[in-house]
Amino acid sequence: MNGPLIVQSDKTLLLEVDHEQADDCRRAIAPFAELERAPEHIHTYRVTPLGLWNARAAGHDAEQVVDALVQYSRYPVPHALLVDIAETMDRYGRLTLSKHPAHGLVLTTTDRPVLEEVLRSKRIAPLVGARIDPDTVAVHPSERGQIKQTLLKLGWPAEDLAGYVDGEAHPIALREDGWALRPYQHQAVENFWHGGSGVVVLPCGAGKTLVGAGAMAQAASTTLILVTNTVSARQWKHELVKRTTLTEDEIGEYSGTRKEIRPVTIATYQVLTTRRKGVYPHLELFDSRDWGLIVYDEVHLLPAPVFKFTADLQARRRLGLTATLVREDGRESDVFSLIGPKRFDAPWKEIEAQGYIAPADCVEVRVNLTDSERLAYATAEAEEKYRFCATTATKRKVTEAIVRRFAGQQVLVIGQYIDQLDELGEHLGAPVIKGETSNAQREKLFDAFRQGEISVLVVSKVANFSIDLPEATVAIQVSGTFGSRQEEAQRLGRVLRPKADGHQAHFYSVVARDTIDQDFAAHRQRFLAEQGYAYRIMDADELLAES
Amino acid sequence: MSSDEKPDGRPAAPRSLAEALRARDDASLAALLRARPDLVAPVPTDLTQLATRAGTRASVVRALERLDRFALQTAEALAVAGDPAPYDELLALMAGDDGDTAVAAALPHALGTLREQALVWGGDDRLRLVRTARELLSPSPQHPSPTGLGPTVQEATAGMSPGRIQELVTAAGLPSTHDAVSAAAALTALFTDRERMAKLLGQAPAEAREVLSRLVWGPPYGQVTPDPAAHLRWLLDRGLLLPTAPGTVVLPREVALHLRGGRAHRETQPVPPPVEPAGTRQSSPQAVDATAAGQAYTALATVEELLKDWDEGGPAVLRAGGLSVRDLKRTAVALDVSEPVAAFWVELAYAAGLIASDGEADERYAATPTHDEWRERPAADRWAELAGAWLAATRTAGLVGGRDAKDRTLAALGPGLDRSAAPEVRHRVLALLAALPAGTSPDPESVLARLRWERPLRGPQQEDDLRSRLARWTLQEAELLGVTGRGALSSHGRALLGAPQPQAADDAARTPDSPDVPDTPGDKLPVHHRAAPAGTPGAGPVPPGPSDPQARAAARAAAARLLAPLLPEPLDHVLLQADLTAVAPGPLQRPLADVLDVLADVESKGGATVYRFTPASVRRALDAGRSASDLHAFLAAHSRTPVPQPLAYLIDDVARRHGHLRVGAASAYVRCDDDAVLNEILADKRSAALRLRRLAPTVLAAQADPAALLEGLRALGYAPAAESAEGDVLITRADARRTPPRTPPAPVPEGPPVPDATLLSAAVRAIRAGDLASTAPRKTPGTPPAPGELPRTSPAETLATVQAAVLTGEALWIGYVNADGAASQRVIAPVRVEGGFVTAYDHTADEVRTYPLHRITGVAELADE
Repeated sequence: MNGPLIVQSDKTLLLEVDHEQADDCRRAIAPFAELERAPEHIHTYRVTPLGLWNARAAGHDAEQVVDALVQYSRYPVPHALLVDIAETMDRYGRLTLSKHPAHGLVLTTTDRPVLEEVLRSKRIAPLVGARIDPDTVAVHPSERGQIKQTLLKLGWPAEDLAGYVDGEAHPIALREDGWALRPYQHQAVENFWHGGSGVVVLPCGAGKTLVGAGAMAQAASTTLILVTNTVSARQWKHELVKRTTLTEDEIGEYSGTRKEIRPVTIATYQVLTTRRKGVYPHLELFDSRDWGLIVYDEVHLLPAPVFKFTADLQARRRLGLTATLVREDGRESDVFSLIGPKRFDAPWKEIEAQGYIAPADCVEVRVNLTDSERLAYATAEAEEKYRFCATTATKRKVTEAIVRRFAGQQVLVIGQYIDQLDELGEHLGAPVIKGETSNAQREKLFDAFRQGEISVLVVSKVANFSIDLPEATVAIQVSGTFGSRQEEAQRLGRVLRPKADGHQAHFYSVVARDTIDQDFAAHRQRFLAEQGYAYRIMDADELLAES
Repeated sequence: MSSDEKPDGRPAAPRSLAEALRARDDASLAALLRARPDLVAPVPTDLTQLATRAGTRASVVRALERLDRFALQTAEALAVAGDPAPYDELLALMAGDDGDTAVAAALPHALGTLREQALVWGGDDRLRLVRTARELLSPSPQHPSPTGLGPTVQEATAGMSPGRIQELVTAAGLPSTHDAVSAAAALTALFTDRERMAKLLGQAPAEAREVLSRLVWGPPYGQVTPDPAAHLRWLLDRGLLLPTAPGTVVLPREVALHLRGGRAHRETQPVPPPVEPAGTRQSSPQAVDATAAGQAYTALATVEELLKDWDEGGPAVLRAGGLSVRDLKRTAVALDVSEPVAAFWVELAYAAGLIASDGEADERYAATPTHDEWRERPAADRWAELAGAWLAATRTAGLVGGRDAKDRTLAALGPGLDRSAAPEVRHRVLALLAALPAGTSPDPESVLARLRWERPLRGPQQEDDLRSRLARWTLQEAELLGVTGRGALSSHGRALLGAPQPQAADDAARTPDSPDVPDTPGDKLPVHHRAAPAGTPGAGPVPPGPSDPQARAAARAAAARLLAPLLPEPLDHVLLQADLTAVAPGPLQRPLADVLDVLADVESKGGATVYRFTPASVRRALDAGRSASDLHAFLAAHSRTPVPQPLAYLIDDVARRHGHLRVGAASAYVRCDDDAVLNEILADKRSAALRLRRLAPTVLAAQADPAALLEGLRALGYAPAAESAEGDVLITRADARRTPPRTPPAPVPEGPPVPDATLLSAAVRAIRAGDLASTAPRKTPGTPPAPGELPRTSPAETLATVQAAVLTGEALWIGYVNADGAASQRVIAPVRVEGGFVTAYDHTADEVRTYPLHRITGVAELADE
């Protein structure tokens, strides 16, 4: 009894990473436990019903799960917990969704009382049709996603054996000239394809686009790619042309400005969720072609209407891509039930250890407010408080000092408040990209930054996602969207692309001491801290004195 | 009921229970008294009195309730057999015509038990069930017997006209007789003769046989219309169904027995149902012990957490006693368990004497001094203390949240939770577990079935009787406490029980596990054949655990010894991480745990503990009097890894701001722009009484109130002015005095309020009834009471008169004092006298009521009209 694992009463598992059996144990528990936190010494996994059912779906049984826990646990595992796990897993597969030759989509059961129980639910009743025999009931084909989601909420997850449509075939292949899919990307594509649909979680800069491309090559069918904004759409297109056999003409862009539908179509969430007279006119895009694969980029940002529509697309393969599956609205489980379970997840530090993302030095710089600012802060309205402390003048001095220190390197300054950014841009002599900057101008500036023509760029939150700045080595965050954890992770991601000379990336977060800015910062850093990024804290005075 | 077994003049010895008892040896009498301890309180003066007491209803009921199912079935069979009955008749009733070897083997033992308990007496040729037991168990229309048998032909034809009986006899194909008695006897003889009876029934129409088969296993009563169908007519004509009341017929006992093949019971259970192992997967004894030890550790942690939660004053005590539902909920949330489980922990801590009410005016629960001692002991001892207290407690946490007989909610720690059967059931369940091979977990249902066999309920069997619930709770609680692991009894649980390792065997001595002990049917003087277990004198059939305190302490110590090596060793270090958490990969040594509990919030519990440092938690530690450098040193000393920079920073950051603002209380202040004057005042010795303190060069704070301060300063020769809260100089003047808001007094009307119509009519009725009682003509035994006066008789006279009235069915005039002391006169017709109560039809109130005899001042017979 000296295993690396400690089973807690709240169903979290603590894994001591320095233990000699840690790797074996990690492999044994990975199929059913969700990695929640991965700091230096003890990693925390969580056992959830969803995780257990996904394990069942992947072919693991309760005995394996129990054996893994008992084998690696340091202390006796409470019997009640083992029983609970076995019972939870036993709930999966009592109901099955399948195709019936005569009746189409049907829900069948191996345990009649369960079927009776779910059919009595008010939420299930509108989704099902006629009772075919005591153990079988017809399901409206359009409600496949809805019924799966509802059954999951009722605690009787259905095994979906109805399969996928192949979609319209379209040859796509990877063009691996001088590059190749990394092992973990391969693994991700394979896991996804084997599972049918699902979500792949990879750190920022670890090449999620290539996983998408790999999945498309695997599917070899028409593909709909949903992305967050137009810039991102262009980058996808650029990358696909570069990495696959697809040509410019085969890839369409469906956005506010262009409405092309081609074998591979890249659409923005924004255009899909545009509402006119109470209807979503562009949602028909989903039906406009016989798509064989739908890729959701940055799936953690998936807007609610798209969720709803995704529920109706259960017969098509779906791939979700994200770096941080933390939604501040807590709808992670909807992502899992509608797009699919998590098929691949790699801890950031693991990818870093393999050299695919740059090691980063995270520093929180604490600045003091001046006396007059403190008074202004103390008397500010609650909703204005964050703005007051986040835009303190001292931050400008600190930012200038950091930029000076890294003179000659590519530096990004990221912030929330336009006034602050404009002022910073002025003082640093750097261009500012914000909401009103046109797409053409944005791309021009990005290009110049990429080429090294300009070394400092000030960006607002419009550039939060999917901008591709390979040579940024330093990011300075002066303010953010309150306590958003995934924004912090995305911003760190801007500097994690591996550097040509292999040196370290730097991430500075400038925070006003003793204000809610500091509280938000603590919350924002939590995700990264749990991924093993240890923030260093510095005093502004210290930093100013050094330079 | 003071019925006694009078000598009934029959020739065979013994002639009464008293005589039978007289013939028994001392060991056998001791066994009787051990089995029925109620007979010795108080000690009877002689054997006649013992026999009388053994025949009282309360005592017999108690004894019957403690019989196992087979013994009870035997008693039930005796109740429907002849009186007296020979052994063979009893055997035939139990085993049926075809015989049953298991029953035949077990019967002597069951009979021995009944004899030992003085429920049956007489030799094997003349077995007699004690009369009270016979009354309790034999069938009557009100209380159908568990055997489902009806009255005998003799009983059922008792009120029938002789002519009708002769008709029955003739219809059944028998010669007519002289009188009703011999006719009934002839019918009985026919019905008990299997061959003739089979022939008779062979002629019955199919529907008639159908009717009989419906009634055969009881209840034996059926309804008929005044003009019955032909097949019913056929049965009625031959006495195969006998009328009991208009429209009701009964299947006579002899007919039913014939149809049943002689069996009194549909099913007999001569052998106790075995306790079955659950499922197919059984754990190894090591795994069971390890799991139980893990749970034992969790139990300790939970109780300690509960006590810590209540450390600075627990929840308030409800006025009716106990914990409010809200407090229980809160505690459940704090412990992160469900409410019933929280109730269990709270009750456990209470039973172990770790918490109690503080007895203050504003009563609250708090930890006891015992708790402080308990806390300092090794973990295994602490557990043994808890488990020992649990095993012996009569308080039953499982009842919490339920309702009592008055529909009041039963609160945790409140009154009404004691169930005297609890320790015995707990012990019995664990003993059954101990009888299984080590590591075997039983099927809970088989445990319950076994318990129901050992102590069946009279009357209809329920799934949810108290004993079954107690047993179910025992299984759950034993698992929570870590007495069992994965459902099987652990070795430390076994030790706690006082059962030998690894397998209990002595248990069989106490239960009828081994019905092979032969009681020869011929022993006329049943001698108690089993010696009492050595070292447990006076132990009843169900001793709750090792009975004397020494043995109990030894069992606890043995359990602690076995448990100690299985509990994890407390650690002296934690792992600190950059995400501001600390993980203790096991239990911590107490001082370390105490400090960490203050310094950080617990995020997750179990084998390990995850702590999170937050500004609030660090502030708490600083408030508790620790300095930042203390905390740094503490973390550095107890961390296996370097202290992460953000954590060190967090502590410094919080410490920097800690105590920046200071708060204190002053009741007045002195303000002066001239520092020198304040210096003067402070230097003056006379100002000491004002308890002045300098807060700033120009401000003094005083503990004296403003008026005293003004007086004091004036006495020192200064001319101070009072200041208002806004800083203005106050001009003093006397204020007019006012009361708080008051309402004017309400007028008080003269005399009581006018009664309403309902009240009036009720009063009139009562007056008229009282009038009837006082004016009814009555017989005058001795001195007639003055009109309107209550009759007065001695208690003995009262009892005798009332009992006589029950027999004659006459009405009586009684004087009665109610619970409030109000006397009244009533006219009653007594129906039953029992246990100090008279049940009677009250003419005055026009309903059946029950009166305690001691409240009846006297009785008089009513004069005949």
